[in-house]
Amino acid sequence: MPKAPATKSRKRVAPKKHVTTAIGTESLATGFVRADLVFDGLDHSGASFEARIFINNPDADANTEMTVQNRYAGKFHVFGHGGCFGDVGHCEVRGIPRPYDPRPAHPLTPMRKVVIATEALRREIKRSNGKGLTLTIVPIVRSGTVRCDYENVLKFDGVSVVTYA
Amino acid sequence: MANRLTLRQNIESLELTSSGLVAFRDAVAKMQALSADDNRSWMFLAGYHGFPQFQCWHGGRIGLNQQALTYDLFLPWHRAYLITMEHTLRDQNAAAALPWWDWTSSGSHRVGVPLAYSTRRIGKTPNPLINGPVPEVRSGRVPGLPPSPARKTTRAPGDPEDLPTADQVNSVLALTDFVDFSQQLQDIHDQVHGWTGGRNGDMGTIVFAGFDPIFFAHHCMIDRIWYLWQLRHGVQNVPPDYMNKPLAPFPLTVGDVLDIHRLGYEYAQASSSHD
Repeated sequence: MPKAPATKSRKRVAPKKHVTTAIGTESLATGFVRADLVFDGLDHSGASFEARIFINNPDADANTEMTVQNRYAGKFHVFGHGGCFGDVGHCEVRGIPRPYDPRPAHPLTPMRKVVIATEALRREIKRSNGKGLTLTIVPIVRSGTVRCDYENVLKFDGVSVVTYA
Repeated sequence: MANRLTLRQNIESLELTSSGLVAFRDAVAKMQALSADDNRSWMFLAGYHGFPQFQCWHGGRIGLNQQALTYDLFLPWHRAYLITMEHTLRDQNAAAALPWWDWTSSGSHRVGVPLAYSTRRIGKTPNPLINGPVPEVRSGRVPGLPPSPARKTTRAPGDPEDLPTADQVNSVLALTDFVDFSQQLQDIHDQVHGWTGGRNGDMGTIVFAGFDPIFFAHHCMIDRIWYLWQLRHGVQNVPPDYMNKPLAPFPLTVGDVLDIHRLGYEYAQASSSHD
């Protein structure tokens, strides 16, 4: 995992938001009892942050109110590691464990976050008329250290919609 | 006394000069006075969580490229950590017990951090719950990093109204699957860490959070919520392959920490909306 360059006087810049490509909804069962937004491969090596999720509202930002009108879906929180406090290589995630390695996964192994967003997804799937869902994820940094990359705090591999019938 | 369950209480129910809180502060102050190299010290125990030992379970441990590991020890690991800290405190003062901070309470939503953790002095004595000692972080280990001398923890808490609500906790308590419950409770936990630490505060990041005394009151609340969930959904309700997982560095497995009475403690009844 790339380490943030550290300086004594790192300035805090606004964290970048992420807008996904459209997620198709054709294959989703209708009449679900629960629907989740599942984020995989989420980085938690840096600052702690709140991530607000809006559906089909690419203009949403940190000042957008979390309302139905603004197509707010939910949020998740990351308790960040705070940057690297070891020698070179300390925060590089080991790969897939080799056979017979009894140690737990590396502490910075990317994580999964599940946001239960049943009513928001029900509403927005209906509203989208089959055109798919575009998610805007807006990070708000809550806490960090001089060793954190605030601008690129939000990093993940992918997000999916999971429904339960 | 020796065979009784230790009673953990809501910090807001304790007067600043109550005997329970006096004993707890006394134990914390004595641990804080010991050096980082002493394995009875506040710094040594705090160092299990983040810097320098990084033993804590956070982040769900979901594997690389969605190759998921099959277990997440967030709740049992922290239960083992709390009981270890509580016994280490009781080595200093036998009457000490960890209190919990109910951040959903009306009091917390009005004032934020409880008075017991924000009052600078109790009479003429400095309050050891205001902050905790952090050892030096040596410079020169990673090129370009500034040195960090020995210091005390700080906090910059947010707006009290932004703390989690009882409704949030009740929603989580209604979940029936342990892994699902653990993930959702961890998110509330993450929210409180960021809220309490604020921009530069130590509670806000894994590396130094354990050094702040309020860490343990926060985690006591998390542990209590797990206990309330267990009362509804079963004490032994974890996936079977969790049972024998060790909770390093503590000499306990997941199976060992499921029943809090077997661990020798109990939570006081509380008149909250999620008890």
